[in-house]
Amino acid sequence: MNTNQKTSGLDSDVLSILLEQYSKESEIKKWDIGASSSRDISVQVHQGNAKQLKGSQRNSMTLRVWNKKNQVGITSTSDLSSEGIKKAMRGAIEASLFGNEKESPEFSPLAKTELKEINSIITNSHSIDELLMILKNAEKELIDSHQSINSVPYNGLNESYMERIYINSEGANRHMKLSQSSIYLYAKAEQENKKPRSAGAIRINSNLEELDIGSCIKETSEKLISHLNYKPIQTNKYLICFTPEAFLQLISAFSSMFNARSIIDGLSLMNEDSIGNQISVPNLNISDEGLHPKNVGAFSFDGEGTPTQNIKLVSNGILTNLLHSEATARKFGVKPTGHAGLGAKVSVSPDWLVVSKSESEIDKDESLDIKTTVKEYILIDELTAIHSGVKASQGSFSLPFDGWIVNDGKKTSIEAATVAGDILKVLNSIVKIENEQVITHQGISPYVWVENISITGEA
Amino acid sequence: MTNSLLTKQNEILLLHTFDDTLKPQIEELLSLGKSAGADLVEIFLEKSDNISLLAEQEDISNVSPSFGIGAGIRVFLGKKDGFVSTNDLSNAGLLFALNQALGMLGLVTGSKNKDKFEGLSDFKDFGTKKNDWLDHSPKLDESTIKLIEATKLLADKNKNLQVRRASYSRNWQEVLVAATDGVFARDIRLHQTVGINVIAQQDKNRSTSARRYGSSGNPNDLRNWEIDKSADELNESAQKMLYAGYVEAGQMPVVLANKFGGVIFHEACGHLLETTQLERGTSPFQDSINKQIAHKAVSAVDEGLSNHAFGSLSMDDEGMEPQNTVLIENGILKKFLSDRAGYLRTGHPRTGSGRRQNFSFAAASRMRNTYIKQGNFTPEELIKSVDDGLYCKSMGGG
Repeated sequence: MNTNQKTSGLDSDVLSILLEQYSKESEIKKWDIGASSSRDISVQVHQGNAKQLKGSQRNSMTLRVWNKKNQVGITSTSDLSSEGIKKAMRGAIEASLFGNEKESPEFSPLAKTELKEINSIITNSHSIDELLMILKNAEKELIDSHQSINSVPYNGLNESYMERIYINSEGANRHMKLSQSSIYLYAKAEQENKKPRSAGAIRINSNLEELDIGSCIKETSEKLISHLNYKPIQTNKYLICFTPEAFLQLISAFSSMFNARSIIDGLSLMNEDSIGNQISVPNLNISDEGLHPKNVGAFSFDGEGTPTQNIKLVSNGILTNLLHSEATARKFGVKPTGHAGLGAKVSVSPDWLVVSKSESEIDKDESLDIKTTVKEYILIDELTAIHSGVKASQGSFSLPFDGWIVNDGKKTSIEAATVAGDILKVLNSIVKIENEQVITHQGISPYVWVENISITGEA
Repeated sequence: MTNSLLTKQNEILLLHTFDDTLKPQIEELLSLGKSAGADLVEIFLEKSDNISLLAEQEDISNVSPSFGIGAGIRVFLGKKDGFVSTNDLSNAGLLFALNQALGMLGLVTGSKNKDKFEGLSDFKDFGTKKNDWLDHSPKLDESTIKLIEATKLLADKNKNLQVRRASYSRNWQEVLVAATDGVFARDIRLHQTVGINVIAQQDKNRSTSARRYGSSGNPNDLRNWEIDKSADELNESAQKMLYAGYVEAGQMPVVLANKFGGVIFHEACGHLLETTQLERGTSPFQDSINKQIAHKAVSAVDEGLSNHAFGSLSMDDEGMEPQNTVLIENGILKKFLSDRAGYLRTGHPRTGSGRRQNFSFAAASRMRNTYIKQGNFTPEELIKSVDDGLYCKSMGGG
């Protein structure tokens, strides 16, 4: 039997029957699986012509079993044929012999509770020709927007459909579908006797009709034009304003602070006694809101079947909650929060971070405002090389960035520079959190101002 | 021919060893694509068998085996290409993927085209002597014992190593490449990586240090790992970094150590010598062949031939045997790294550098083992030449 038909997606009933049969044959009484199936189509263009057109049909499954000693073993496979599932069962049973007896995950106590409704819109996919036409037009409009913009070397328009299930031997059965559409445009501009400059933007929506391609073109063009006239800056300590995107990048890079798994493993800046501690200035709030209506990639349950939940992590600068899996929640004596993966050692990660200003607290420097401030500051728009420039367990970072030096409200692009520091010092050196929150593709945040941050420039 | 593909719904290529008995089925698919009007059709089949292990302190905390199957079908027409990947290796699944890739380029099977497919060449099996690699690789019991040995050794080095982790990953891959230009080849790859990392803590000071070692084509790699030497090196680094202060920001001369010092070259220069970058117009070296692009002391080579080096391979992911490619000689740019699409779009000849992360990616030109050749000065002379600067011993994250 082959459950791997490209048009049928996942059949949780068929998978469930197969697994019951194979687990019985293997004398496994307790098991669970997470499986996903996706279809994806994307186009890239180059100077008005189709460049690469891609499609994929993919399935995958992670199977977990508990042996007689309650040791857990897992195996992942992309072969969802009956043979593939049998092989995965054998692999998981073998792996269980090495399961950690000191810390075995269990089923989530919330794996069968009611799910919050997520209004996932499943849209009809478009033809390659339609996608190509849209992207060719976007490329042309972007290049035509300024004489110096000569190419869009990185671009793509994508439509995808995804299904995900979670089933366990105690009768939990979660199933969800979603569709998504995204566009990215990363353009390059050249002027005589100057270095090439580049800038980009991305948009994601649940369907192509509502994908805001126009604003993606406009943002890329305006950003790139603003980088045409650039200058080196001096190495110094500066007043910094992080754009919402950049601040979310920084907080995400240090999200192990809120991660119970990392805390237990000694890999976080926080420890088991940190709840209730002041970790930032008192006007900062951070929450994780996977269920936020603007989070178009939201799933209603996590890898263990726990319902996705919105959770306050930092309130008035105080660490109030952590992100949990079943195992970490059990250790901390709380309920799982819906942020788990699926494994023998279950990972934990945030869904959709939301940064806001606490209404009850005031800013250290209320005069700062992205629209009106005249004193000199550095506006950091995008951090790069985060995978190599962050030591999350030490709190330190040193990251190249794209941005501007701003004087009297006039922005001048910075040729090349690096921002460095310590995340806890940054959080305690915030002088202003603006009121207006901006929705980005990776979460929500206002502009955030931080004083006395070290910048290495090339002047 | 077409009928047999459309009727054998349940015959799954997965059940086969990748060998020349698949030739009729693959030729049939390729022929369909060619007759639809494609300039070239390529099929990449992959099976994988991977293990990932983690030891933390005195325990094995994660054992994650994974198996994979998949196919990538790529169709070229002029300078355009359509690529479709699928986990469905049934005839129906592959036919669906082929039709989708053809459809992306406006081609339809069944249409008549005068260019006929001449058939696949003789089967080149680079995997013949590698069939036992998977069986000869360490099993779970042996691997887990080795990792625990590593974390225990680290504990013996210093009590302040409060977090001690050792990881091992074994990636085994069997691939088959077939294309309408006659390429028909199979290979087996084995990559193994061991990593150790620690967090040292003393009072309020904290330092993290990590090392990673990798190899290809050597089932005994984990068995031969000199754990004590690695643990000594890591502990020394962690202790030195524990009380290290922040360096003052600014510009200064830097002496890069060998080995991981090459990360800078790899990231900042090597990627810009790949035709994938030329295709996008994002390399500053676009028109620099035979021009001086570096100090005359710099000669750089990229090759896939060194025994057991991580980037070595018997054939690339487009079925071409690797070469020793001189990129920069005495500061002069000599060659770019090129794959099939790179040759088609930029004219730079293929160098056996077509690589893909797995079946779900089309091949792209990528570095294999990149070396900077020896220069005229010793490390001591380089360091002595700097009044006030940095010595960069190790880099990560590239």
